[in-house]
Amino acid sequence: MQTIKKIIPFLILFALLGILGKELFYAKPNEIPSALLGEDLPNFQLPNLFSSKKVVAQKDLVGRVTLLNIWATWCYACSIEHPLLLKISEKYHVPIYGIDYKDDPKDAIAWLVKNGNPYVMVGKDRLGNVAIDLGVYGTPETFVISPQGKIVYRHIGAIDQKAWDEILYPLIKKYGNIA
Amino acid sequence: MIVARIKSALWIVTAQAPFRKRRLVWIGKGANLLLLWILLIAIFCLNMAHAENLHPFTAPDDASRFQQLTKEIRCVVCQNQNIADSNAPLANDLREKVYQMVLEKKSNKEIKEYLVKRYGEFILLQPRLNKLTFFLWVFPFLALAGILPFLLRLK
Repeated sequence: MQTIKKIIPFLILFALLGILGKELFYAKPNEIPSALLGEDLPNFQLPNLFSSKKVVAQKDLVGRVTLLNIWATWCYACSIEHPLLLKISEKYHVPIYGIDYKDDPKDAIAWLVKNGNPYVMVGKDRLGNVAIDLGVYGTPETFVISPQGKIVYRHIGAIDQKAWDEILYPLIKKYGNIA
Repeated sequence: MIVARIKSALWIVTAQAPFRKRRLVWIGKGANLLLLWILLIAIFCLNMAHAENLHPFTAPDDASRFQQLTKEIRCVVCQNQNIADSNAPLANDLREKVYQMVLEKKSNKEIKEYLVKRYGEFILLQPRLNKLTFFLWVFPFLALAGILPFLLRLK
């Protein structure tokens, strides 16, 4: 009995240290959970990057599983992600819609011409209003949108092959028949 | 420009009164310094006025609401600052959004709900009491109740 009593404070201490250690080394403070999961994609309408007369709207994304990718030419991680986006659109035939976030349209067009364009449509969000409405706080961010127009998943940061194979692609297959 | 002009004016004054030159030169230097201060303060005030004008309100009530709200909302990219203090681009955008919503006469509750919906509970610097944060709020009292018997027994 006496020895157990002596051990208890240490047990509490180690439990505390364990919890703190876990938070310290494994917590991801940048991955803020979105409460928009399972909700309808917010209504938006943006001018098309390639022709200002056309628009890119939330209704364009409905009807099949789509990806909504928020990117910018000034964003370094976006350039790392870019080849995979090209692969996703060419090899996996998943339609990707882009939102060009706080960018110079001229730079964006030049960038897409140079590096290839994986997007079905790109809307330009020069002021970042739509991004706020989507709860975006950095680029790149990618949303998986179900055929019903609901937000199914949100990926923060650049997509890599592992995230694509293990999370995004299985989800997309689950929500729609992609050839 | 202005400083230079006043300097030359002072120089004329000092030149015309050679017998009191030394003293006047000294006064001139003091006046220069004073002028510099006045200029600095004027620039500062102008800046302040400018900052006020970025978010003009017609109703003083809205203005104080805006001040209060921006102090309670976390800047999500610089996580331990509120958006009133932060100059991060996203904080600016969020400030703008809050400003728009205040102008639209949305209530504080509606504005906070809008943000929490998009950025999570985390965006509020002071977490609200709900299912998720219940433990957070109650824990200190539980802990106190837990150690109370030990404290009493010590005596």
